[in-house]
Amino acid sequence: MDTIIKIDRASRFYNVGDITVKALENISLEIKKGEFTSIMGPSGSGKSTLMNLIGCLDSPSDGNIYIDGQPTFNMDEEDLAYLRNNKVGFIFQQFNLLSKLTALENVITPLLYSDVKKKDRVILAKEALRKVGLEDRMYHRPNEMSGGQKQRVAIARAIVTNPSIILADEPTGALDSKTGKQIMEVFWHLHEEGRTIIVVTHDIELGNQCLRQIHIKDGHLVEDKK
Amino acid sequence: MIIENTKLAFKAMIGSKLRTLLSLLGIVIGVASVVTILTLGQSIQTNITKSISSAGPDLITFSPRSYSKSISMFTEKYASNIKALSPDIETVMAIDQGNSTIRVGQQNDSTTVYGVPSDYSNNLAMTFSSGEFFNLTQSITSRQVVVLGSNVATGLFPTGNAVGQNVMLYRGTQGKPYKVVGVVEDKDAIFSLNFNYSVFIPYSTYQSRFSKSSYVHSYIIKVTDQNNTLGVSNTVENYFNTKIGKDYFRIISPTTVAKMATSVTSTLSSFLAAIAAISLLVGGIGIMNIMLVSVSERTKEIGIRKALGAAPSVIRGQFICESLVITLIGGLIGVAIGLIASYAFSVSMGTTFVISTFSIILSMGFSMLIGLFFGWYPALKASKLDPIEALNYE
Ligand SMILES: Nc1ncnc2c1ncn2[C@@H]1O[C@H](COP(=O)(O)OP(=O)(O)OP(=O)(O)O)[C@@H](O)[C@H]1O
Ligand SMILES: [Mg+2]
Repeated sequence: MDTIIKIDRASRFYNVGDITVKALENISLEIKKGEFTSIMGPSGSGKSTLMNLIGCLDSPSDGNIYIDGQPTFNMDEEDLAYLRNNKVGFIFQQFNLLSKLTALENVITPLLYSDVKKKDRVILAKEALRKVGLEDRMYHRPNEMSGGQKQRVAIARAIVTNPSIILADEPTGALDSKTGKQIMEVFWHLHEEGRTIIVVTHDIELGNQCLRQIHIKDGHLVEDKK
Repeated sequence: MIIENTKLAFKAMIGSKLRTLLSLLGIVIGVASVVTILTLGQSIQTNITKSISSAGPDLITFSPRSYSKSISMFTEKYASNIKALSPDIETVMAIDQGNSTIRVGQQNDSTTVYGVPSDYSNNLAMTFSSGEFFNLTQSITSRQVVVLGSNVATGLFPTGNAVGQNVMLYRGTQGKPYKVVGVVEDKDAIFSLNFNYSVFIPYSTYQSRFSKSSYVHSYIIKVTDQNNTLGVSNTVENYFNTKIGKDYFRIISPTTVAKMATSVTSTLSSFLAAIAAISLLVGGIGIMNIMLVSVSERTKEIGIRKALGAAPSVIRGQFICESLVITLIGGLIGVAIGLIASYAFSVSMGTTFVISTFSIILSMGFSMLIGLFFGWYPALKASKLDPIEALNYE
């Protein structure tokens, strides 16, 4: 299978005053197309930092990251934005929906930044909402929806551009365990569609269900299990 | 993208109406001032041009001050001396004037009586709704005949038929009967001469009945060609400057009137222009301020949009568009206020109201430019936000 994400000796350091915080140090990792991977580790171990690097929201202090074989170190902000829009779908613990927009408008948002034609946007957004089972909540705003529904909208928004990589940073963290399981169901469906999925989770049970588990601690990769 | 951005801008604005409105104040005042300046300027200019052309651009009024030491030399005969000052002068008419009460039966009216020569009506292109001007014979024989301005006539003879009737003209308490020989058709005022509210009698009659002295109130100089008006006006002015001193006479010609009106307009204009410049600057800073607030309030939103793939240029576009929409609205409100203000001005000044399309386009364009200029920095700031920091912003 093809390698879709390649992390080559990447580090991410933060300078806070005189101290250098090593959020990630010398991580090398390859993820193949279609893999369903969980990233686990204690709080502060660098999981979110790693996700942000993979999703090109952040750049490594050292080392390289390749998406679909393309090196990202020489890309400018415009290129990185294009890459995020086309290849990556983000899902966050706190949903991060735009509160003034309806579910449908939220899902349309990434399409505004893509090459998708205007008349196709609504069609694609409705299709994505249907996939997560929310076609009857299209015109609701985030404050009129439950946590699980909001996360479904966020998932619909993440998949609407048809990205090959889905990155979810503790997607079930703000949900009860039953709703969390339902959300994981949605990820399994996406996995069946052939998407590459990486989920950060604290939930050992959910994490262990994933086909591959990566454990990090203090910014280092400590375990990589398939 | 522009449509989406505009929608977003409206959403953001509706979310903070009062704040937006307050920060718009500068733009509103600035644009209103610009519109008022230009509209008013154009109205006044139109009116000046109109009054000059109606005044007959070939007339000059020369009035010696009554307190001049040389006043006694300004008699009816002196008109020919003035005429001799320039070959471009066609004729010079001696005029006298004073206030009087005019009366028919129980109807009273106060009016200005002009003592004028019989060729006066020709030289001033007067036309008559009934009757005609008094003739040379009536003039030199000092007949008690009168020509009424249109408003005077309708005031005293509401049913018409003034011609042939007698009116009483009073000097102090002493009244004398005058026979109406003509009624002037409605005519725009020339300089301070308000035809519709005046009456005209022969100069010699005026001299014997109204005036104690033999000197005139003013001379009306008619030039041969209106292109020479300014030249003749200067010649006459220079001549009397040396002869009697510049403080002892007054010259009014279309050019001096225009100069005066223009100077009034330009004072007003520069005053409003200063207000406009200051308020547009303040308005621009207001826009910048509200945009900076908007950017910092929506840091999280910007982070989310960046995560979803919005490029810096797109974010920049969104905020510039928002700034443009705000200033556009401010500009529209300003245009409305400016038009209302200049309408009110022109009504109170009695000038015709002319909408200056140019001023609307100019001020709208200017406010958009301000939106662009002062919106640029906040938009740039938004576009440069670090995506992760923005996302984690609470
Ligand atoms: N902007 C920053 N400046 C300084 N240090 C940072 C910054 N962001 C993260 N860190 C540090 O990097 C380390 C890794 O942070 P990260 O958010 O990746 O942890 P995490 O594994 O996601 O934790 P959690 O499970 O609590 O979300 C932490 O020690 C954190 O303090
Ligand atoms: Mg984290």
